Amino acid sequence: MRQALISDDMVIDELKKAAAETLAIDVATIKTDSSLVKDLGAESLDFLDINYRIEQTFSIKMARHFIIEHIEEMFGEGTAIDSDGRLTEKAVKLMRIRLDAAVEGSALEALKPGMDMDALPAMITIRSMAGSIMDILDTLPENCPECDKSAWKTDNDTRIVCRECGAEADYKNGDDLIKEWLQKTQDEHKIV
Amino acid sequence: MLKFLSGLNDMDTQNTDTPDITSNGGPICPRKVLVTGSSRGIGAAIALAFAKSGADVAINFSKQGGRSEEHAKNLAAEIESMGQKAILVPGDISQKDSVKKIFADAASALGGLDVLVLNAARAPFKPIERLLERELRALVDTNYIGNIFCVQEALPYLTSTTGHDKHIIFISSLGSRFYNQSYPLGSMKAAMEAVVRDLSETLKNIAVNAVSGGLVKTDSFKVLRQFIDGIERIPEKLFVMPEEIADVVLFLCSPASRGIRGQTIVVDRGLSNCLHRNA
Repeated sequence: MRQALISDDMVIDELKKAAAETLAIDVATIKTDSSLVKDLGAESLDFLDINYRIEQTFSIKMARHFIIEHIEEMFGEGTAIDSDGRLTEKAVKLMRIRLDAAVEGSALEALKPGMDMDALPAMITIRSMAGSIMDILDTLPENCPECDKSAWKTDNDTRIVCRECGAEADYKNGDDLIKEWLQKTQDEHKIV
Repeated sequence: MLKFLSGLNDMDTQNTDTPDITSNGGPICPRKVLVTGSSRGIGAAIALAFAKSGADVAINFSKQGGRSEEHAKNLAAEIESMGQKAILVPGDISQKDSVKKIFADAASALGGLDVLVLNAARAPFKPIERLLERELRALVDTNYIGNIFCVQEALPYLTSTTGHDKHIIFISSLGSRFYNQSYPLGSMKAAMEAVVRDLSETLKNIAVNAVSGGLVKTDSFKVLRQFIDGIERIPEKLFVMPEEIADVVLFLCSPASRGIRGQTIVVDRGLSNCLHRNA
């Protein structure tokens, strides 16, 4: 449903544009597998700025917290990061499942128990971040919650609205999606 | 009680001294300034304002090799183009050894220190009750302990005989007095405003004050607008420019402010005056 209105390529292009504007770099230099930190020089505040631009573009709400923070909130402090600031086995297992499709294999190899948590943001690529955006956009309901019609269309290419009543699409927010995914994955894999 | 009154009298005498005046008739301007967290935003605006007034500036930022360093280098180049000295003193203020090096390097390069501006801050954005122990400790380590480390390390360089030319200015925010969603930093700002009052009493020859900024459109605003609902609807005229805060910092470092001790001056274009506003 969503892909017919907003393609994956469009999501990646919009994310590249947002990153280029935030980081004041030429969009042509940004590759799909560019690491935002390592290759493009992004810092923590830059991620929030990119998120903000993406939220304005697609009318969605990106996650405010990284998956590591959600693991600790859900399963308790120390379950994702040990007292030396290093990743636990549980965190690595969960993240490997989550990033499997979104990160290049070679980059995923660096994800090991004992890895410094400060090295994690360097693993975020345009592709992995675009994946999070697509996850949110994919929560577009079949029918408009306002008029119950299935008549979605794009407005300005990136915002989905109801053709019948004009209501804006209502998506789940990024943090709720991560929490849902974590609970489902934990139930399935029983990771300790 | 007598001791208390006697203390007040000491301070009154000190504060009413006539300030020194330079040969060209203008007020003496501090010449050697260190601003923590000054690679961008309010800190950078303060560094620039001091440089414009003729001061040499030490620019501190936390992480080397990132965009903060790039910003700091650009700021240093801008200050040097004005004919002033600008040096980079990178380091994390929450680490005592790092703070020692920041101040030793700054004082050595500038030939002493007249003003310390405590602007660096770092905090998670989530409600206080959800902070993990690690986040809570980091919050206090940087925003309370780190600032006090800076004061302690600055003191040997801030010695003065007149009490008019050495200053410590803390950059606070309205979060010290008002609730903001997911803003635990506010509690640290409140603690530091109390520290400012304490220091202004104990450091008799150093003027210690704070400037509390309202809503400022710096990089931090990029964070605030994601965590504070409705912030985008606040009228543009209520947003403070970083330069407006810098101007008050400079005023507090001028002889004209000699009667002001241990105070927090709010610079918010009146944002905090009203409980309710028409949209």
